Amino acid sequence: MFDDMKRIGLEACVLIAFGTLFGLTLNHQLVMDAFSGRLVPPPRQTVQQPMPVALPVPVLIGEVRQLMASGALLVDARSPELYATGHIEGAVSLPLVEIDTGLPKFLEHLAKDRSIITYCSGFGCPDSFDLGVLLIEAGCRDVRVFEGGFPEWRDAGLPVAGEG
Amino acid sequence: MTGLKSVLYHLGRLALALVFVYAGAVKMQDVVVFAGHVAAYQILPYALNYLVAATLPYIEFLAGVLLLLNLRVRPALVVVGAMTACFMGALVSVLARGLEIDCGCFDPGGGQEVTAGVALLRDIGLMALVVTTWWLRNRTTTGSARR
Repeated sequence: MFDDMKRIGLEACVLIAFGTLFGLTLNHQLVMDAFSGRLVPPPRQTVQQPMPVALPVPVLIGEVRQLMASGALLVDARSPELYATGHIEGAVSLPLVEIDTGLPKFLEHLAKDRSIITYCSGFGCPDSFDLGVLLIEAGCRDVRVFEGGFPEWRDAGLPVAGEG
Repeated sequence: MTGLKSVLYHLGRLALALVFVYAGAVKMQDVVVFAGHVAAYQILPYALNYLVAATLPYIEFLAGVLLLLNLRVRPALVVVGAMTACFMGALVSVLARGLEIDCGCFDPGGGQEVTAGVALLRDIGLMALVVTTWWLRNRTTTGSARR
């Protein structure tokens, strides 16, 4: 019986190894890109939604740093609580959940041609994109989305602010 | 080996096979979208989400195929059970943190969102099926025919 269990366990491991090998063979480029931090393809929207007039442009982490150096404003679309716990250093908070009250106040102090980069909790979080669309509709001319968001920024060891 | 137990065993095996072949196949179609779903759980470091998304669907698919073909059924059940246990752990963690995300269990971006709570209930059912099928397997097969 013990030998039996050992063999079953071993065969289960072989199964997992084959599955992993199979998956890595087919997706090695994607995994390598993800681990090197360069050129990570954003998750595609498979649900068809009515297209807004203009869409915010996705930017990668390197471009975010360049744009920030040349004066772009980083906007955090997550909840105020998440912003307080930790955010990209220099980013301002404009939670999508409080957009009705937040947006007019935000636009008051903003030059319409200033570059804006929105972000939220990374891939799988649509808020930064939705916020970007709203900002474009509100008249902002240069809106981009950093889709890797706070997780990618933090994991890259770049400066963050907040309580931690 | 009684007839009823044998029938139930094969039904359980085939049901699990279909669930996992489907789950694997549908996620293989778009690994990047699935990576987004995995990332939404906020459990793994950024790049590992992609590693999981690139391998998990293939392990699911392979285990499902073995169950379907009635080959290496018990190793496949071990793998399927272990995966389901991991999913349950992840879903419990999502519920504990109050995240509102789609479980990403099956069709990525297929339109129907499944909340963590529903997915967890489903996984409990799946786990029960795995255990039952394992149990029936040990009782419907004679020693010499065991694989």
